[in-house]
Amino acid sequence: MTLLNIAVVVKLEPDFSEGSISYNPDGTLNRSQTKSTLGPHSKIAAQAAFYAKVKYGAKISIGTMSGHIANSALQMAMETCDAEVLHLYNDKIFAGADTIGTAEVLKKGIEKMDGKMDIVFSGHRATDGETGQTGPQIAWKLGFTFLGNVISYDINLEKRTVTAKRLLSLRGISDLIQEIEAPLPVFIAIDPSYKYYFSTASLRLTAEKYQREAHERANNYKDRLQTFDSEELGADKTLVGLVGSPTIVYDVQRVPQGKVIRHAEILDGSNPEHIRKTVTAMREALNAMVIK
Amino acid sequence: MTKEHYRHVYVVIEHIDGELLPVSFEMLGEARRLFDDFNRRYDLNEKVVAVILGHNIKNLSETLIEHGADAVVVADHQDLKDLINTIHTKVISQISLSKEIAEKIEPNYSQEFKKPRYMFFAADSIGRHLSSTVLADLDSGLASDVNKLVISDLDISHFVKTGGKRIMYKKTLEMYRVDFSGFLWTTILCLDNRNEKLSIREYSPQSCNVIPGAFKPLKPDSKRSGVVIDFQPKVSDDDLKIKVLSQKFVEDKVDFDSYNTVVSFGRGIHEAPEKNIKLIEEFAKQLGAQIGISLPISKSVFSASPTISSTYMIPARVIGTSGKEISPMLYVAIGISGAMQHVSGMEESGFIIAINPDENAPIKNVCDIFLKGRLEEVIPLLMEELKIQQQVVQA
Repeated sequence: MTLLNIAVVVKLEPDFSEGSISYNPDGTLNRSQTKSTLGPHSKIAAQAAFYAKVKYGAKISIGTMSGHIANSALQMAMETCDAEVLHLYNDKIFAGADTIGTAEVLKKGIEKMDGKMDIVFSGHRATDGETGQTGPQIAWKLGFTFLGNVISYDINLEKRTVTAKRLLSLRGISDLIQEIEAPLPVFIAIDPSYKYYFSTASLRLTAEKYQREAHERANNYKDRLQTFDSEELGADKTLVGLVGSPTIVYDVQRVPQGKVIRHAEILDGSNPEHIRKTVTAMREALNAMVIK
Repeated sequence: MTKEHYRHVYVVIEHIDGELLPVSFEMLGEARRLFDDFNRRYDLNEKVVAVILGHNIKNLSETLIEHGADAVVVADHQDLKDLINTIHTKVISQISLSKEIAEKIEPNYSQEFKKPRYMFFAADSIGRHLSSTVLADLDSGLASDVNKLVISDLDISHFVKTGGKRIMYKKTLEMYRVDFSGFLWTTILCLDNRNEKLSIREYSPQSCNVIPGAFKPLKPDSKRSGVVIDFQPKVSDDDLKIKVLSQKFVEDKVDFDSYNTVVSFGRGIHEAPEKNIKLIEEFAKQLGAQIGISLPISKSVFSASPTISSTYMIPARVIGTSGKEISPMLYVAIGISGAMQHVSGMEESGFIIAINPDENAPIKNVCDIFLKGRLEEVIPLLMEELKIQQQVVQA
């Protein structure tokens, strides 16, 4: 069987889980006190790649642009999808890049991976940056068909096509599900609601075998980790980092408090009279009888 | 150096099978307001250009002009019937780079025209990706999820962009976006590189995708006039191998519209997420309410059992600019601080009650009753009192 060649691009992000995240008193993220981890959307991208490995057979490579601190994210992604190759793109000139400067590095990295890719997966968006731009921009630079918001997919190995379902959320109308077919290679940004399911016992056994293998590999992930700087990637220095970024962050300010649009009555939640008053007001708001 | 190779604002219109989405009118409204002021201030005659792709859509041009467009570029073709990113990206790029179209928009500027000055897209499942690929193709910068736009001349000193020198960047689009916490507002600029020691590059169009609901549409005005420009797209045979097999509407996973009451919770559940959500679940049940959440809850902020997290900590329940905009008769905000992006999704509610221990939380400015206290203590008291009052009604 011809193996599919799959890449996953991942990101190290602040760990938003309880106990790891820290907020400043004003509600903003305290970055210095917040731990980092494999981004949750990156993890879903790795799960989507694992599905292809189990169902169709695939060689998976993972890439990230970051400092060495991201080794742990690569290790977690490896454990998720039983990847064989880990790439870290690390150079101080990559720092400060906007999405297009980042996409350029990741494109170069994917091109350094062994063989031409059939599918590249990314998460839906990062939880800290939240632009969702990097995936489609890598796709465009690679010349791959971009499929975003993918909630499920399957491959036709003979025809070398992918069929994917995409969930489109558009304000003002109901959500849409679009089913789309495209020739490989494709770039898939996976939707947060993606879940894989192995329908046969044989697939479930294969999945278990790869999960054991992944665990072993992740324990020794450094054996399979390759690091590239800008020279090794052959990156054009005018297209990466701050120099290659059209946009800058000009200013950061606190969101001004909205206008006082209602004058709240301030009541004490431990005072029975105030509780009574609140419930009465609630009932009045609903014309009393609405509450069943 | 001037930017006069770059003219007009191009607004990429969204529709589904000929039904225009509200965000299209909102973008046109904002573009109109910005450009009326822009043309006056700079003594120019640049245009608001609506760009629309699809099949059998020509009849929409008039509506777009009534909502603020000076010109509508229509690519009406069978090959554009379906929403396919690759094809739509290439056609929008062709339109953006076309001198012929620029000439039909405004002959005065067309000789020097290279690209649009600004471009607006929607920050939704269509525009978010389309803007990314179009801007990768046009090789310029993009800000996402923008909810405020200002055009101004800025005196900039930046160690990369200007090599530390102060340089005036004229007609710069300040693009404001709220960060994930909802408390910080970041201004993004798309600036030319003018640092001779590094690289000189011009970046246009300055582009953004804007949050649906952030801007107000104009009242349609049938007296408004504009030009309609037909564009014949070039689509390659290879790209036509990408096919939409089916497209269908699905019911919303969480129905808010059928409920008179919505109870939402935020980070205030942090002391015991699982237990507190169960408490809120009981409270909502007693009120016959649907349950909403604030944005951070949808991002795996707290660990809870799979049932609780897959039922409640999901994007479909988010109230605010990143989720649903609702206006129930009664809205109860539990442990929600009141970031702007949340408030814009619930401020139209009939009566608003906030339960929060922090009297300085901004939610106080948008509620009718601010019940000060920890949710763990307040909710059981409210439930008990509700029971008593309901019994009285029944008696």
